[in-house]
Amino acid sequence: MRKELQEYPFDWMLWRTFVAAARMKAGSEKEYRQAVNQLPYFRGVLDAIYGIGEPGKLFIEMVAEYLEKIIHAKDRGQKTAITTFCFSPAIFYALDIVPITLELVTVAMSATYKRGTADFLDYCNEVGFTETSCSSQRGTLGAYLAGNGVTIDMVVADSPGVCDTNVNAFAFASAYLDKPFFQLNMPPDLTEARSTEYHRADYRALITFLEEQTGRKLDTGKLRCILEEVGRQDLLMAELEELQILVPNPLPVTFNLLIYAGRFLFAGMPQCTKLLESMLAIGRENAARNQSGLSSGKESLRGFFCYIDHYGQDLRLWQLLDRMEISYHGNILSKMWSRDAHYVKALDRQEEAYTIDTTDLDTLIDSIADLNSRMPMIKSIRGPYDAPHMWLSDTLALAKLHKADFIVYNGTPGCRNTWGMVKPFARDTEKNGFPTLILYSDAFDLRVESWETTASRIEEFLKVRRLRS
Amino acid sequence: MMDAFRESSTILFNSHVQDWKTNGGSIVGYTCSYVPDEIFSAAGILPYRLRGIGAKEMNIGDAYFGPFICSLPKCLLQLAGEGKYDFLDGVIVTPGCDSMRRLDDCWRKAGEDRAETLPSFFFHYAVPHKTADYSLKWFIEETQRLKAAVEKHFNITITDEQIHEAIDIYNEGRLLLSCLDALRCATDVAISGADALAVVLASTTIPRKIFNSLLTELIAQIETGTEKITGRKRLMLVGSANDDVELVRLIEGDKAVVVADNLCFGARFYADLVEKDGEPVAALAKRYLFHNDCPRMFGDYKGRLKILKEKIERAAVDGVILQNIRFCDLHGSENGIFERDLEAAGIPCLRIEREYGPLVETGRIRMRIDAFLERLET
Repeated sequence: MRKELQEYPFDWMLWRTFVAAARMKAGSEKEYRQAVNQLPYFRGVLDAIYGIGEPGKLFIEMVAEYLEKIIHAKDRGQKTAITTFCFSPAIFYALDIVPITLELVTVAMSATYKRGTADFLDYCNEVGFTETSCSSQRGTLGAYLAGNGVTIDMVVADSPGVCDTNVNAFAFASAYLDKPFFQLNMPPDLTEARSTEYHRADYRALITFLEEQTGRKLDTGKLRCILEEVGRQDLLMAELEELQILVPNPLPVTFNLLIYAGRFLFAGMPQCTKLLESMLAIGRENAARNQSGLSSGKESLRGFFCYIDHYGQDLRLWQLLDRMEISYHGNILSKMWSRDAHYVKALDRQEEAYTIDTTDLDTLIDSIADLNSRMPMIKSIRGPYDAPHMWLSDTLALAKLHKADFIVYNGTPGCRNTWGMVKPFARDTEKNGFPTLILYSDAFDLRVESWETTASRIEEFLKVRRLRS
Repeated sequence: MMDAFRESSTILFNSHVQDWKTNGGSIVGYTCSYVPDEIFSAAGILPYRLRGIGAKEMNIGDAYFGPFICSLPKCLLQLAGEGKYDFLDGVIVTPGCDSMRRLDDCWRKAGEDRAETLPSFFFHYAVPHKTADYSLKWFIEETQRLKAAVEKHFNITITDEQIHEAIDIYNEGRLLLSCLDALRCATDVAISGADALAVVLASTTIPRKIFNSLLTELIAQIETGTEKITGRKRLMLVGSANDDVELVRLIEGDKAVVVADNLCFGARFYADLVEKDGEPVAALAKRYLFHNDCPRMFGDYKGRLKILKEKIERAAVDGVILQNIRFCDLHGSENGIFERDLEAAGIPCLRIEREYGPLVETGRIRMRIDAFLERLET
């Protein structure tokens, strides 16, 4: 790792970057423009996020606050847990644990820094972690393995049975740093009674583990408040989702990113609720005017990303889509499968959704266990891809509901699970009438494929399939 | 004596399998050491551990799997697509790892394209990734589900007595393999690592009763024999699945002997007995879930390190080869920490990443092994 990167803790540096970013709009527009000119590699992010108005400002403040909580956890006597994006942080907030979600921090660095997370990715390999592992965890993990961040107290993952390379990063971290480890293990089926029973038993064991690590008992009242807030967020997300289906889609192209990032950062916390409310206000306004959320106000195509997005420097994926007048219709990450979700109702798929029951501690725990077992990726790529409730049926149903013109698969070369079947998967989506593009880029590492190459592959695909001239 | 084992370890449709088939027996293939052979043996079916040996092309494997996938499941699919596994009456796929788990999807899809590729019995056996009490409960139910599916498909009934009998036969085989293991650990080794692997590989295809008698004979020969392998460095082989005798032969050359391993086509396959008391399906589930595990059982690194250290001491190992197939992140990453911790304990290690299949990397591997052996000399 370059020596200069070890001068300051990486998470502190990132926090200060976002604190500075959050202040950028405090002055006049002229001052903002002057300041942005000094930030050639961050201006794209700022312009893309601030360009959507109040939600953008709230989002950047939210990221700064999330990082601040990490930096000051020890000062406040809180324990820290490294965890994964597909694990709902609600339980951590209920037990006053500070989550450090590796993938979110990786996205923040990938989008913000010129070199992305390259040094930390490589550091993982220097200490024995395979280079073929997923870059989404490696990008941040490397810094913690190097001792270049806050002290980690525990490691919690929920992807065994879903994604090997995801959970393997956490198992490696636990062994390397000698920290306590807990895994939630997902059966291949989602809705059978024995799977539900397994999810719930496993989740109770998790709570016992977290209580042991913190020396605290789970506070029923606090958990209830958090899950009630999750319920409010579900309703807001349902309405956003409903708006997204309109033609033209009234949501700006970056909204989907903000929806899932907000939820991954602060599920069950008022910060996320405020962000969703702010987005909804803009969405409603655009919808009332029957106006597309794209910058040009014109929607030429509707794209559905069936896996994840591309987080390379400056959020250029969203910039590309906006420039090409392609409205964005979500991906695997923004679907939480609440019973209140619009798509759950529209597709009549209540059986596979979760409900929040706040009657007593038992129902609260069952609810959060069910919620966690429906998290993005956890729900849909645990079983055979073409089984009921799994990836293919979710993708086809959502792409049809959103009237998508095409589907894009983008991930990382580290995703052993989806690369294990994305070819037959794409063959099936094509058979169902959706032109499907498989991208070979790395969502978090531009060294694998430059953004220019990725962009040209998207453009070429749209041209060859006669979706765009 | 070794010829029977060598033949069975290098030929998919070997003479024992041919005999079984000629006599009207059914054969069910499986992908992972977490599948209980005893269920099939009790049903009068030959359990057969699937291997990708002999795959010379990858056009079928590559048609279904993406590019960033371990070559072992690709080779399996390739062979299935070429008809090399047409003798199978059924297949069990487990979530041993994500690449292997997706063999289930890809094989089924290949079956849609060419029906004869897919055996009529095709079962996904969901093995948990942890050993909590509720995981064991799940696995008992899953094993009962497997048993019921076998009974239904093959139109048979598997009684508890038959399973108990199968447990006895397989436990006997495990004890014999452990006895061979002990002989390998001795100061004067009488069997090469390559031959020891051939024996284990044979155990995954030869009907177990026949295998037990062959191995009993071999052990007697070794115990009474005078020929010993001396003056070589003693190595241990750890990491991804290896069913290639030639890889071990390459590692051993004329300067080393592999005296121990902790591989799933090796010690992990026969470690730990099934309890003979109680309900037999539950006993099977317990043994297979709790047996000497691999990194798919996330979070048990310390347990696995302890097993390695004990073996290294018992077999007086001079150095450890930590190998993984490319894209096998589970073993590859754990090998990284093994290397750190074993080297810190004064045990020399060599990490190798390789492809599964024909030894196209012979020169590179040979050079690295030689360099490692030179290090052990100094």
